[in-house]
Amino acid sequence: MDAVTYPDERVMEFIQKNMIPLRVAFDAQPLSTDFNIKWTPTLITLDSNGKEHHRTVGFLPPEELIPSLLLGIAKSHYNGERFNEALSVLDKIIVEYPKSDSAPEAVYLRGVCKYKSTHKPQPLKEAYEQLQANYSSSEWTKRAYPYRLL
Amino acid sequence: MAKTMIWETKMDVALARAKAENKPILLDFFNPG
Repeated sequence: MDAVTYPDERVMEFIQKNMIPLRVAFDAQPLSTDFNIKWTPTLITLDSNGKEHHRTVGFLPPEELIPSLLLGIAKSHYNGERFNEALSVLDKIIVEYPKSDSAPEAVYLRGVCKYKSTHKPQPLKEAYEQLQANYSSSEWTKRAYPYRLL
Repeated sequence: MAKTMIWETKMDVALARAKAENKPILLDFFNPG
């Protein structure tokens, strides 16, 4: 991460603008135990109360790290039931990083957010159809499979 | 634009900044080698 991803100007700008970067050694206590750290790098998105919303383990190149961090921000909004804010971030992933590994999960979560904010099932079906069309081999397409029947 | 990443190293400082700036925290557990 130090050799490739963090020195990338897009990454640096994104993190400094949108997040508070905090770095600790993998064995630093009590955080290592509190967060059950077993491998590095482990990247976790926390809200301002210290609650975890998203986690990745292993190297991510610049073109994957930014959408992954956006997904963490979206999940923080989603878990706080701020669905409009979550949808705004998820749309950004889907539009600007459609080929990233985070995009299929963003499509899935967008469907869920829309369902939770409208209580109408159609967005779930649309999420499945978009996943099937664009990410047919994704695990998120499999997870959305039942929604085809809605 | 920053030329090097400026990391916080203390959780309490990061939490205080997160509240003040209304931003989430990126917590990176790394191997300093």
